Order: sequence, then C-alpha cells, then structure tokens
Amino acid sequence: MLKPSVLTWVLVIFGVACIFLPMVYVQLNVVINPTSQKAKDMIIGSGEDYRDKTHMRVSYGIALADVIFWLPLLAAGSIGVLLGRAWGYVMWGVSGAISVYISIILFLTEREYVYPAVGPLVYYTIFWGFFVYWGVAAVAYASLRLSEVKLRK
Amino acid sequence: MLQKRIGPYPLGIWIVFIVLLAVFLGWGMQAYSLLNWDTAVDLGFQNERFTGDAVERAWAHESWSVAMSDMLWPLPIGIVAFIGLLRKRLFGFAAGLMEFAITVYFPLVFAFQRWTTYRSTAVVAIFLWTVPSLVGIICLWANRKSFTQ
Repeated sequence: MLKPSVLTWVLVIFGVACIFLPMVYVQLNVVINPTSQKAKDMIIGSGEDYRDKTHMRVSYGIALADVIFWLPLLAAGSIGVLLGRAWGYVMWGVSGAISVYISIILFLTEREYVYPAVGPLVYYTIFWGFFVYWGVAAVAYASLRLSEVKLRK
Repeated sequence: MLQKRIGPYPLGIWIVFIVLLAVFLGWGMQAYSLLNWDTAVDLGFQNERFTGDAVERAWAHESWSVAMSDMLWPLPIGIVAFIGLLRKRLFGFAAGLMEFAITVYFPLVFAFQRWTTYRSTAVVAIFLWTVPSLVGIICLWANRKSFTQ
C-alpha cells in the first residue's frame, strides 16, 4: 500500500484538471471531425487552419492514439495512485513517459507554427508546457514511490 | 511459464531482452536516418525525402522530428531499462515498461496517420514493435516479483 501523499493529490488534481479532461474533450473532437473549425481552433489556434493535409493527418493520428491508449492509461494510473496501489504508479510513470515523448515530437514539428500564433504564455502552459511538466513529474514521482515498495503478486 | 528460470533470468525476462533488442534495432535505424537521410530512404528506414514536393517534405520533417525525439527520450530510457534488467533492479522494470509503452503508442500514431499512404510500413511497425512490446509488458509484469530495489 502506497498511501497517497500531498504531492500525489497535487499531481492527480493537476493531471485530471489540466491534462486529462481537456485532452479527452479536444482529442475526441479531433477524432470525430478533424476538419471542423472547432477542432482546429483548439489544436492550432483560434481561426487557424491546417497547413496542409499532412498536418491534419498528424493531428488525427496523435488524437486517435491518445484516446485509445494514452488517456486510458493516465486515468487508470490516477485511480490506482489514489487507491495506493503500485500498479497505479506504474501506469502513471508510463503515461508520463508517453506525455514527454509526444511533447518532444510536437516541439520539433509544431513549435515554429504554433508558438507565434499563441504566444509564450499559452504555449509554455496549456498548449505544450503542462504536458511536459506533468510528464516529467509523473515519471520522477512514480519512480520515487515505486522505489519504496517491493512489488507483490 | 514466463517465470520459469533459464540460467540467470526467468524466461519472461529473456523474452524482454529480445524485444528490447528489436526496439534498439528501431533506434539504430532512426539514428542512421539522422546521419544520412537519403540513404535511409533508399534502405527503407524512412519513406519521404526532403527533396520531394511540399507534402513529401512535410512528412519528412515530421519523420525527422520523430527520429530526433527517439534519440532524446526512448533511447536513454531503453538503455536504463537494459542495465536495470541485467542487474534485476526495480528501475529496470519501471524503465522497461515506459520503453514498451512508447513503442506501443507511437506505431499506433504512425498507423493512424499513414494507413492510407504507407499501409505496409504501418503494418511492419505494428508487428515489429507494438505487438512485441505488448508481449514485453506482459513478461515484465509476470516477473515483477523478481526485481529488487
């Protein structure tokens, strides 16, 4: 049993409020109708359009993989850590690793387009930054908590 | 069965080592691509060139970004996993799961992006990385008791 600490609660609340719930809403919109202006407003910027079909396919692929794989892992991990279970921290660490990975890819592919459109404050918070901050924190904290336990069957 | 000991490690961990080698094969392809993109396209490691039309260049830029990201994040995690698993340490278990989660996730992204244009590459990526990585996750979890702090 890994009793949830204050930091666990902070990361759960931040993860659910700033990552999970917004991403479920945004990515479901992209998956259901990637060419809608509503979806484009959320993932590129208000009134912006895809640069080309490649840009749309990239966004769609990430959105579908997030909905199928990453977001369920994040949700399960958050439940698991609140229950004090080791598997929760394992899932948290795993979803954090994915969050950092896709953020690096998006930094390299999209920053030159998105950053000028939204500005530094928005980019380094809700558009990109939160995913890196939460991902790194989740990996580090999950590793720390898992080092306290011996995994059991 | 995955916990049956064969030499110094259980069978499941031997399978994990084999899957990690397949994953490192992918990182090797990505590293080579960054060094010599055109030859990497000729060899089939990448699909698009930077000398093609606007759409091809856009895909090439995305593929280059993925290759660079692979060097910056999953490759180091994979090395940590390999060392940790060799030493039967818990950090190897955790890093192994992170590595395999990434190698399940990204081929899915790739398949959803390019199913209509590069279906064969997407299928190869799924069978070379996603499916073995899922097996790797199962093998790691089945042997979670064998790791120490």
